[in-house]
Amino acid sequence: MVIGRGRETGANGRGFCYHYASGTALPVPADESRACPRPPSGSFLEVMPRMIHMRNVSKYYVEDKPALVDVDVEIQSGEFVFIVGHSGSGKSTLIRLLLRELLPTTGEIVIAGQDVIRMKSWKVPYLRRNIGCVFQDFKLLPNKTAYENIAFALEVIGKSRHVIRTQVPEVLRLVGLEDKIDSYPDELSGGEQQRVSIARAFVNRPPLLLADEPTGNLDPQTSLGIMKLLERINKTGTTVLIATHDREMVDTMRQRVIALEGGRMIRDQDRGVYGYVD
Amino acid sequence: MSINLGYFIRESVVNFRRNWVLSLGAVITIYLSLLLVGVSLATSVVVTNIVKSVEEKVSIQIFIKDGANSSDVTSLQNAVAKDDLVKSVRYISKEEALRIFKEQTMKESPEIVEQLEDNPLPASLDVELKDPRNVEQMVVKIKANPDFLKVCDRPDKPEESLKYSEQTVKKLFALTNIVRVVLAAFIGMLAVVSLIFINNAIRLAIYARRKEIGIMRLVGAGNWFIRTPFLLEGVIQSLIGAALAIATLGVVRAALMPRIGEALPFLPMSVNTTASLQISAVLVVSGVLIGLVGAAFALRRYLKV
Repeated sequence: MVIGRGRETGANGRGFCYHYASGTALPVPADESRACPRPPSGSFLEVMPRMIHMRNVSKYYVEDKPALVDVDVEIQSGEFVFIVGHSGSGKSTLIRLLLRELLPTTGEIVIAGQDVIRMKSWKVPYLRRNIGCVFQDFKLLPNKTAYENIAFALEVIGKSRHVIRTQVPEVLRLVGLEDKIDSYPDELSGGEQQRVSIARAFVNRPPLLLADEPTGNLDPQTSLGIMKLLERINKTGTTVLIATHDREMVDTMRQRVIALEGGRMIRDQDRGVYGYVD
Repeated sequence: MSINLGYFIRESVVNFRRNWVLSLGAVITIYLSLLLVGVSLATSVVVTNIVKSVEEKVSIQIFIKDGANSSDVTSLQNAVAKDDLVKSVRYISKEEALRIFKEQTMKESPEIVEQLEDNPLPASLDVELKDPRNVEQMVVKIKANPDFLKVCDRPDKPEESLKYSEQTVKKLFALTNIVRVVLAAFIGMLAVVSLIFINNAIRLAIYARRKEIGIMRLVGAGNWFIRTPFLLEGVIQSLIGAALAIATLGVVRAALMPRIGEALPFLPMSVNTTASLQISAVLVVSGVLIGLVGAAFALRRYLKV
């Protein structure tokens, strides 16, 4: 058993997974195998079942102190995946690589069939339009209302007023904030602010949603609500990738878990748990 | 696109209002630099005019001795007139020379004219050149002419019989060149200062909006969509500076130039409308360039995409 290598899959692609740390195989009953919803119809992903492909990806910010070492990740479209690990284990680096805020030192990254590394810089914005993004600190503009914050995201990618007027209330309804439409961020609770930020990430119906510690600033009760919301978004066919160190959440959700430690992938497990004490 | 244009202008104006102290600094530096550019351009127009008027006065005078053979004079006149460098040759007789002298002197010191008993002035040939810079070449040619020696009033020292203001022209050219170099150096330095100011103003604008820019990037706003408001802001700042500079120059031209002209009547100090329009155009264009380049520098350094 090679530790830190890619995901071991059974014949049907998801029959078994291995607990790399302990080396024991955890059989998964076939009838409980994870439902893989189809992507939204009309999406370019219908012909693109593989959403994220990372191969031998390493990232060195400074020499001989790697943030990521030889990471291999395959994520199919429609999956719901946690990336867990301590602070500094490389979770955020992984997210930033996927957003092409960073380029890896070595390795290849392909998102929805697009080679992210060889991508021309003028094409990067178009990649990002297909990736929703949620952060621990919400990143809402304080001088704009919930509605305006979401409208801003559509405005700057050139959506028409008509689209904005119909899409924004709809997505606010989806996250359960239809009555807070004109509230400013400082009038909203942390959970509500995160809902606005999720609404903003999702308003453009991206096929991929990345979340970097989305519940890091929230109490457990609120966090669960946020996770349920992300799960509902996943049900619409959007691939969801969540970096977190929220142990309870990961254990409750029973979804695929990729564990990082010191920049190495130490575990990739379907219906996994957080797995180790931190 | 119309929505976009409105958006860009709105954003730029909002930025300008937010950092108005720094923007004002940028506007004032650009204003001063462009004002100096304008002043030096105007100066060079004036200097060119002055040089031209002096050049027009540059002619070669050949003094002819009293009682010279008139056919020799005529043949010299014809020979010189045929030369390619020469525009015209005019014979001025002794009487005419005296009349001109009297006219010029009468006003200031009539006693000199009154004391003149006979006519001390020689007759002369006034040679006007097509290009005053060829004056020396022409002098050599005239000296080589055999008729010249026969008719000149100082055959022992032929060069004394020729009068031309070569030295004046040379000095004037040297001076205007120095003036131009100094002004160009000044303009260059001020342009650099303006660039730095614009750069700083845009940097602060970027800093003030870093959160918005971050979000714009995340949701996939195009690179030029993010950059354009800042570029536009730089251009707006320099256009305001240019407008102020043009206005100031206009006021100076209307109010001050006539007075200077009165004080120095012998020099043509006017800048005509065409020239001042051209200067305005130069100011606007160079202002826009400074704004664009300054903002572009700031964007390159502080707005990595």
